[in-house]
Amino acid sequence: MADIFDTTTKALGASLNYRLLRQNTTASNIANAETPGYKAKVVEFEDALARAIDLDGMNGLTTSDPEHFALGTAALGKERVTVENNPDADVNNDKNTVDMDKEITTMTENSIAYKAALSLINKKMAMLKYGISEGGR
Amino acid sequence: MDFLTGMRVSGSGMTAQRTRMNAISSNIANVNTTRTPEGGAYRKKEVVFGAMPEQRNFGEILAGKVDEDIDRVQVVDIRPDRKGPRLVYDPSHVDANEEGYVAYPDINVMQEMVDMLQASRSYEANVSAMNTMKNMALSAIEIGR
Repeated sequence: MADIFDTTTKALGASLNYRLLRQNTTASNIANAETPGYKAKVVEFEDALARAIDLDGMNGLTTSDPEHFALGTAALGKERVTVENNPDADVNNDKNTVDMDKEITTMTENSIAYKAALSLINKKMAMLKYGISEGGR
Repeated sequence: MDFLTGMRVSGSGMTAQRTRMNAISSNIANVNTTRTPEGGAYRKKEVVFGAMPEQRNFGEILAGKVDEDIDRVQVVDIRPDRKGPRLVYDPSHVDANEEGYVAYPDINVMQEMVDMLQASRSYEANVSAMNTMKNMALSAIEIGR
């Protein structure tokens, strides 16, 4: 690939975007923790991202329609991410399905994973810089 | 979608909880109020929350982004509750009726206290969501440093 940013950097970038979406969704769940009838939302992106970075080795399938499965590195950044109502949530008396403990856990976990991805990107950038400056000469 | 979306959503949660807190303060302060501008005893205020889809900009709508499911919370209504007044026999009171009963608001202070704690905890949860978001944004601007 004739590109200074390799697949890993792009995949990390994509994962940052989806983690941000998950964070926003969690914020929405927390804000609506006491809204009657509100359904907690979950973001699923791990499987789609794994397919896109070709973990299963089915490289080269192109997609021409958003309904196609994103396969292969050409699909990076075009993964189908779903935001849906949490299927395994308990319903309160007011038909609200937000579990505050779960949301706080998701939020913390998500922010840690976000920072991990960020520090990996920073390492990649540092390596790139090292190369550009001819080994720090 | 950006960081501001999540922060706005958390902010809406904080506003909603603060409004609820104001209503609770009003209920506690008026626990013995027998006169109101509308006439009759004070009636307990109830705050009603509703989920509203977060507004997106034109570009995002055009691109058909998936985050249409992000909802902020909004105070839809502040209404008096349906319970009638509590009648207390006190013929010497200036607002007593012909039979000697005074109409007091039917407010349970204990219940208000519990609601207050709940509002305060929800407010904190929103603050911590916003802080997490802020930390993520601050780390993101360090990319490539």
